[in-house]
Amino acid sequence: MVSRGLKRKLWNRFMLALTVVATAAALVPLASILYYVAVRGLPALNLDFFTKLPAAVGEPGGGLANAILGTIILVLLAGAMAVPVGILTGIYLAEFGRGRLAWTVRFLCDVLTGVPSIIVGIVVYSTVVLTMKRFSALAGGIALAIIMIPLVARTTEEILRLVPQSLREASLALGATRVRTVRSVVLRSAMGGIITGVMLATARIAGETAPLLFTALNSRYWPGGLTDHIASLPVYIFTYSTTPYEELHRLAWGAALILVVMVLTTSIAARLAARRLNGGR
Amino acid sequence: MESGKPGRSIARRVTGILGVLVGGILLAAVACAPWGEERRIEPGGKPPVHLLGVGASFPYPLYSKWIEEYRKFNPHVNIDYQSIGSSGGINNILRGTVDFAGSDAPMTDEQLARAPAPIFHLPSVAGAVAITYNLPGVDKDLKLTPQVLADIFLGNITEWRDPELTSLNPELDLPDMGITVVRRSDGSGTTKIFTEYLSKVSPVWAERVGTGTSVEWPTGIGGKGNEGVAGTIKQIPGSIGYVEMAYATQNGLPRALIQNRAGRFVGPTLETTTAAAAGAAVQMLEDMRVSLTDAPGEDSYPIAGYTYLLVYRDQHNQRRGEALAHFLWWALHDGQEHARELLYAPLPDNVVKMAEAKIKEINYKGQPFIE
Repeated sequence: MVSRGLKRKLWNRFMLALTVVATAAALVPLASILYYVAVRGLPALNLDFFTKLPAAVGEPGGGLANAILGTIILVLLAGAMAVPVGILTGIYLAEFGRGRLAWTVRFLCDVLTGVPSIIVGIVVYSTVVLTMKRFSALAGGIALAIIMIPLVARTTEEILRLVPQSLREASLALGATRVRTVRSVVLRSAMGGIITGVMLATARIAGETAPLLFTALNSRYWPGGLTDHIASLPVYIFTYSTTPYEELHRLAWGAALILVVMVLTTSIAARLAARRLNGGR
Repeated sequence: MESGKPGRSIARRVTGILGVLVGGILLAAVACAPWGEERRIEPGGKPPVHLLGVGASFPYPLYSKWIEEYRKFNPHVNIDYQSIGSSGGINNILRGTVDFAGSDAPMTDEQLARAPAPIFHLPSVAGAVAITYNLPGVDKDLKLTPQVLADIFLGNITEWRDPELTSLNPELDLPDMGITVVRRSDGSGTTKIFTEYLSKVSPVWAERVGTGTSVEWPTGIGGKGNEGVAGTIKQIPGSIGYVEMAYATQNGLPRALIQNRAGRFVGPTLETTTAAAAGAAVQMLEDMRVSLTDAPGEDSYPIAGYTYLLVYRDQHNQRRGEALAHFLWWALHDGQEHARELLYAPLPDNVVKMAEAKIKEINYKGQPFIE
């Protein structure tokens, strides 16, 4: 009996140790990326980096302020297009969608999530850029929005499904319409989760390079109008890291650090928002 | 079941969503509104001219420098060049999404035939490919003939003490080592120039491997980018590979001397690259498309190539066309000095003359911008 208990205990210890090791192994890449990007990126950061336009090779004092601003604009544009569409799709799938149409929409969303982002870039290039005959912030925003929509739609659907059926029934029993039930009961209780989903999708698209290369292109100036090509951090990282100049590599590392910080901040803000909105429960 | 006023509820929802949508777009529009110094209208009352070019990554640092310098005395012209690769440059000039394009390789006849209007090739600078190596104990430049170089990359010569190599380099103490070939794993204009050269000097290479931005290598290991090849060579004693000349010079890598058509052993420098450009000028077609590999001339380094600017002869916008023509003219003259600083080989005088004639043909409704 004793030996059997001991065996169980040992087995338990062993499995526990194994899970700890696995967790550590999963965290090592994340920690090392953060560490490496910080070590390489920090020396590139100074006031100029955040306030100045890029300088030519061999000239000191250039920054990537236009790319930081450009990335924010592109993400806002994509969000303005993708969030309403994505959330409405999610609501349809969770609350109203039945039968073949819902199945098709859900299936297409999943397919769209799996499409490589460079394909999205090429499609937007051949439809939007070639039609307008110019690279534009708008085209970049559309490309990012296409990537974002299925992410938002599917997370919204999943979150809404977590809302207990009894809440809906109670609302309907009190005489509310289905639309009113969705708006006042289901959406309200799922708001935290939806916001988290939107912010995670935002963090996901902020680092996309491939769909921007042929749509928003890049720019060495401040952002112009919606129909002008526009700078972004990922494309600058890509362009600068493939040149033979150490100086430009340094700026690319700086840009990488800023991008990582932006994505991390968004993710953490998403968690906090979710916690606050769901605080009561 | 539906006993309330669903119509009104839906209407309110839709208004709410529209509000979010419009608000978002407005927000983005405000953020995109005229911003900072670049948008300021000049005292003369004319808004600034914007020009956009895309294409080859090889001249990207130089073109950025040119744009910066040109703005110093022509601040109302905002030029932008983005590196997306030579084929991207050619595709976009053909589709009219950009004002000019950059390409390391001249357009093919088939591509030119697809163009809606005549496109000019203007060489901007030349570059060269250096053969670099890692030979412990060898402190003088290695000498290679075209045939030996081709045989090494074909895998026919596998030892540094091969009689072919020792007889070429009697003054060097070549190590008793195997040869490890290092080449680019990614598609690259550098590979294009190098394989074009090998195809010209070795019929076996031309038949078995051919020319391209990426080819089926008979032997060796791959590295990504110049830095990948250089890094691999540093790690493996007895290795040999090729990188862009500017990269080799900047990083102090050894550079082999290659026997040119005149029989002399020449290393890759700005002067020998410009010499190759001058030597090849005699074979240059009227449209300025030419190959610089294996160029004639006493001092010509044989593994070199032009990078081109592609522009339409007939411009459709007077102010943009004018700005473009003047920028090209400036690049051809003052710009060449900046080329040397950044280790690009300037154009020889005879080629500048030919390019001048082309720029003078650029016009708006038959009226040239530069007389």
